[in-house]
Amino acid sequence: MVTAENVNMNHWQKGLPALLNASLAGLLLTITALAQAESDGVPLHGFADAGFAAHSRNSSDPKGFNVGSLDFYLTPQFDNNIKGLVEIIFETTSTGEVATDLERLQMGYTFSDNATLWGGRFHTPYGYWNTGFHHGAQIQTAILRPRFLDFEDKGGILPAHMVGLWGTGKVSAGDGKFTYDAFVGNGPKISMGPDPASLTTQTIGTLSINTAGDNNHQAMAGFNLGYEFSGMMDGLRLAVHALRGDVEDDNVTGALGTSLNKTEVSMTGGSVVYQANDWEVLGEYYRFSNKDKSGTTGSHSSWADYLQVGKFLNGLTPFLRVEKTVLNQQDNYFSMQESGQSYARQVLGLKYDLNQKASLKFELLNSKFSAESGRTASSYRSLLAQYAFRF
Amino acid sequence: MKSIFFRFFSAVLLALSLSQVAYAADVVVISNSGTTISAGEVKDIFLGEKQFAGNTKLIPVDNAALQESFLSKFMNMAGDKYNSMWTKKSFRDGLTPPAMKPGDAAVIDYVKRTPGAVGYVSSAPGGVNVAK
Repeated sequence: MVTAENVNMNHWQKGLPALLNASLAGLLLTITALAQAESDGVPLHGFADAGFAAHSRNSSDPKGFNVGSLDFYLTPQFDNNIKGLVEIIFETTSTGEVATDLERLQMGYTFSDNATLWGGRFHTPYGYWNTGFHHGAQIQTAILRPRFLDFEDKGGILPAHMVGLWGTGKVSAGDGKFTYDAFVGNGPKISMGPDPASLTTQTIGTLSINTAGDNNHQAMAGFNLGYEFSGMMDGLRLAVHALRGDVEDDNVTGALGTSLNKTEVSMTGGSVVYQANDWEVLGEYYRFSNKDKSGTTGSHSSWADYLQVGKFLNGLTPFLRVEKTVLNQQDNYFSMQESGQSYARQVLGLKYDLNQKASLKFELLNSKFSAESGRTASSYRSLLAQYAFRF
Repeated sequence: MKSIFFRFFSAVLLALSLSQVAYAADVVVISNSGTTISAGEVKDIFLGEKQFAGNTKLIPVDNAALQESFLSKFMNMAGDKYNSMWTKKSFRDGLTPPAMKPGDAAVIDYVKRTPGAVGYVSSAPGGVNVAK
């Protein structure tokens, strides 16, 4: 039986060989050495967090103390126009293994103040949260991301990462600035159980970002267009975003060897961000009009959104967040994803900044998952605490 | 079913209180003799949003002895916000924050010998351009 809490970790490379860990560390050192030839050095930055979780009885999420993640990133500048961004993360999975991931590997060329082109693996620039915070636990007010925007293997329903090209920039317009992001890359697939060719062992899947190549040779593309206000409205950004591409699962139909499910994913939406005068308001909306391209079920609409409001008060930031998804289970894109169950969640939290680089956070969550075809209803409450710092 | 986003969006925006606090101090922004910038460009330069003057890459540097006054006068923000902003910008956009110099002498020395360098000091020395 599928439940929302059963997190499939097959996206991560469990038990990663020591050789790969050494290679990642070597990569950091090599990039540092290359960039040092052009400048006074490349600072190593990062984030780390640890915490505690308690849940009501009907939750299978891990309880007790936990180690979160250790994230390193470098921003080498190779000359006036060429730069890089490298991020490596060590993260504890829900089953206790330490997983390593080459989170970002971007090479960029800055053409002017208005345009930078990145290539490589990057954070998909929809909405605000995904690129603004991502693994930066200390710079985000909340402990948890909105669940539907979480990482692919932790409850997210969108590709949080992409391998491809990303153009980004800002252009002065009126008193404010027009911002843009346009991206194209490998479309994700939905990875099923350990033996996707076997109809008897298939389980429900998670999004996989196709780092090594696109499985269906059909790109996913999107944009995020915004406007940053100034003057009396300084700190306010309004934006619209869209994303489109075909997504298949690796559930194959025996002799034909073709995917059982293929969906044209079409997402549109918008975001609002206000970060000024000690207020933080974040809101994002996503509407899906997905089309079944392998069957005859037609098109299906779904939506997801969240709104978070916080107020900074002398080092304390209390906040409230509501999030909700209504995901159509006739849509293979959601029904084949473990995290594709509709839910509603309310979060009441408090962030206390010990100083500029270290914070304590506390959250109370009320989560309710809907009874839907093939899924059971559940609800639970959680108490979370986290210590997070950056360096 | 109505979306949470749309239900609360307008109400939250209307509820925001907007106020600005600023005060002036004696801070002079200087640039390398080969680089000319205007006072109106200073904020964007130190926010990492203006990176070039013509073909010259701009390299802003902070002055620890004057940072608080500079941030109030030109950036309209406190030091913790400035640092937090740069952490987010570095993390998202891959930009390198301005290097911190200990005082006027170090800033002047760096600006004089580094094409594209932009800094701020308490009084303008010779051999550099002053942002006006």
